[in-house]
Amino acid sequence: MSKQLFRYSEENKEKFLESDNITFNDGSVVTPEEIWDYLTVEGPVKYPGTYEINLSQGNRDSRDEALPTSLKTHYLSLTFSARMEKAKENGKTIAFIQGGQAVDPYTAADTIALRPFLVGQWYHGREHGNDIYKSVLRRKQSKESAFHDMSFEACQTGGYEHVQVGDLPIDVVAPYTVLRCSDVSYGVEAHRHGPNKDVKLINIDYPMRHQADKPWAIEYFARNLRKLVKTLDEARGKTTTEDDLWRAIKLHNEGRKLGTELADLWWSTDIPPTNSDDRGSLVSLANLDMHGDVQASLSVLKEAKKIIAERVKNGVKGHAVTDNPKRLFILGSCVGINESRSEDAGAIVVGKDDQWSHCTKLVEEEGDPYYNLAKATLEYPYEQSIEKRAQWTIEQIKKSRADGVIFIHNWGCNTQAAISRPIVDFIKRETGIPTYIHERDLHGLRDEQEQNRVNAFIEML
Amino acid sequence: MSIQTLEIIRKRLAERPEELSQARKNGQKVVGWTGYNVPEEIIHALGFIPVRIAIGGDDRLVEVGARYASSKTCVFIREIVGAFAENEDPYIQQTDILAFDATCLQNFRAAEVIEYFFKKDVVVLAVPRNFAEDDAKTYFVHEANEFTRLLEERAGSSLDTAVLAESVALYNDIRKTLKSIYIFQAAKDNVISWEEVYDLIQAGDLLDKKEYLTLLQQTLVELTELQQNPVIEADGDSRIFISGSLIPRGDRKLISIINSVGGRIVGDDLWSGILPHIDLDIKEISPAGVALAYLNRTPHAALPYLDLESDRRLKKLHELLSQSKAHGVIYHTLRYCDPFTFKAKETKNVLAKSGIPLLEIHTEYAGSDYEAMKTRVEAFVEMIKIKSEIVEEEAA
Ligand code: SF4
Ligand code: SF4
Repeated sequence: MSKQLFRYSEENKEKFLESDNITFNDGSVVTPEEIWDYLTVEGPVKYPGTYEINLSQGNRDSRDEALPTSLKTHYLSLTFSARMEKAKENGKTIAFIQGGQAVDPYTAADTIALRPFLVGQWYHGREHGNDIYKSVLRRKQSKESAFHDMSFEACQTGGYEHVQVGDLPIDVVAPYTVLRCSDVSYGVEAHRHGPNKDVKLINIDYPMRHQADKPWAIEYFARNLRKLVKTLDEARGKTTTEDDLWRAIKLHNEGRKLGTELADLWWSTDIPPTNSDDRGSLVSLANLDMHGDVQASLSVLKEAKKIIAERVKNGVKGHAVTDNPKRLFILGSCVGINESRSEDAGAIVVGKDDQWSHCTKLVEEEGDPYYNLAKATLEYPYEQSIEKRAQWTIEQIKKSRADGVIFIHNWGCNTQAAISRPIVDFIKRETGIPTYIHERDLHGLRDEQEQNRVNAFIEML
Repeated sequence: MSIQTLEIIRKRLAERPEELSQARKNGQKVVGWTGYNVPEEIIHALGFIPVRIAIGGDDRLVEVGARYASSKTCVFIREIVGAFAENEDPYIQQTDILAFDATCLQNFRAAEVIEYFFKKDVVVLAVPRNFAEDDAKTYFVHEANEFTRLLEERAGSSLDTAVLAESVALYNDIRKTLKSIYIFQAAKDNVISWEEVYDLIQAGDLLDKKEYLTLLQQTLVELTELQQNPVIEADGDSRIFISGSLIPRGDRKLISIINSVGGRIVGDDLWSGILPHIDLDIKEISPAGVALAYLNRTPHAALPYLDLESDRRLKKLHELLSQSKAHGVIYHTLRYCDPFTFKAKETKNVLAKSGIPLLEIHTEYAGSDYEAMKTRVEAFVEMIKIKSEIVEEEAA
């Protein structure tokens, strides 16, 4: 007996059809009608798992059908794999990066920059017709082979399972070696003994320890960025000019500004205008890298800001948000709590430091673009000393009026795990806000035990 | 056959904490350092007493450290953090200033956590990941100068080049003597064991450097009297080489297991062993000159290198294996030590091409895996013994 699948309600169709188009990097446009058609006809056939009705809501980003931009991010996720295949066919260069960095230089060099999650999305999206169980199994199998070649203590295997064991046509493995992520920096080296000899490898060396205050560290990182662009140029056989970089910086600054404005709007009211999942997926558009197409992300982000402003003005409450929910701020890389289940327990996630830290740093638009970019990058709040990072986090907590803080870290995420206690200690001491640290177990199972603890924390609040 | 100087060294180590305490009362400052690229000569030349922070083997301290630095940090760092929390280690107690480096990201995090929780004065030397590139070296020179400036501030005086030259000469002599001694342990009919030499190397982390050199020279004289011409030769022994995560003082679990099942250790490329003492060539007497010489040594596994063919760490491993005539490698990886665990499979594959077997032992400081480790090491040592006997028979 086949599983019952979720369907978008026809009730919202008319309003959705009035919403904006999505414009892509290559200038092509997809209309709301085409999106609706995909989400209701093609999508459920290709990716039935994402339409399952269960606690994980089939891994759909949103349960808010009345929020057009959520349907659009769902559309962008479902079409991701096919779009990447098409981009490759059209000769685009594709780079593997890590998840806590901006992508301005990659955009300048006309390269699609994919963080680990997106590389997985591309690979797994190639196979159609899977239910959730099959998708999870497929993910586990490919991860297992990479664990075997590297270490089961890695949370991230640097895309090894797809680029080396699998056959994803990634041209360059080129992450910033930020402290946020220990595994991707170590993981780059693993590619040197894989069967795919064609992939270029480069670490963009991120200096440590008061780096933003040292001119020589900024200059060093700027030189690293130049090397990155040169490597991308070699891969694509074209030259990136300084004008290209300026254009990319301006474009990404626009994304960062819009993302910040959207977050500020969201925080400006006592009635949460969306639920946690929607807040997260919309704010994370600010980096413009989330869907492998910067223009597509930008167009959805622009529309999202308009809609959130409207909702705030009219006092609209987000879908499934309870009255007076406990406001949670989440710290930690690449992980988060199960947001919809936490909402059922009476909470709402009002902010995260990950996917946010690097969006808050605008790049100056005059002078040497490489130097400016390096300077802004070395100022990522996430990468500062314990006190500085904690101080910045406190500002975000205050802006978002959070009632409690959870630091959650992944299995194997050593450099985040190591400072979870001091960061939380500082926040607690300075603000008195209740805090809780959660260590996620092997392979990131969102298990009952984890939710029980989160629920207990929410109850305590 | 016992080397008398080794007895003297043991005695001097027992007296050392009290000696440090006296020196501090007389106004000297102790710098506790850890990190593969910390240029110790600079610390020494500024008049500080350098003491290396490297302890292991105490599961209780690991537990304590986990409360501050999480249970997902490597065992070694957790123990160090735990030791600072308890402040009972006689050397840690004596430290006035700490000097850490960022060769390993977890070492860097330890500096931050210790600074935050235990209010220690920590000076950190940043280390570039792309260490082999010219740009990285330029950056590292700046960092070395900054590191020196911060230490000068604490010393209350500037670094004198003539004094630095003396320190460099002293350390060069230490390294040279250690290398000469190291040959004896791997020799046929050896008069000193690898374990004794290993302890001897680690004694240098704590003792006064001038005295240490004298003791090393004395040891060498004794050894030469006992064995004039040490020759390293493959024999019927199960000759084991140890590689991987460091094995600091206090941690002798793996070493004692290898010994207990009849394996003979004849070499290592451990950061806590001979590796940091080889190939260090200081070309210029300046902070930059010393620091670059450190960076140009065989690189630590925590620094990524993206071309397998020209990897100097693997080249050095091959070279040391051939020098020591080892039959197999026991590759020691500590829990959550990404720099070494991530490389285990690759190192195994690379050595397999040269017909050298590798056994990875992944462990922590708890004793609970002792028997399981022993079973695996025993089987490996046995396999190597059979292999080496066949080689010996064929050679006969
Ligand atoms: S969880 Fe941590 S180690 Fe893993 S990919 Fe994310 S940042 Fe990197
Ligand atoms: S190299 Fe390994 S054992 Fe050493 S500090 Fe780093 S993670 Fe820990």
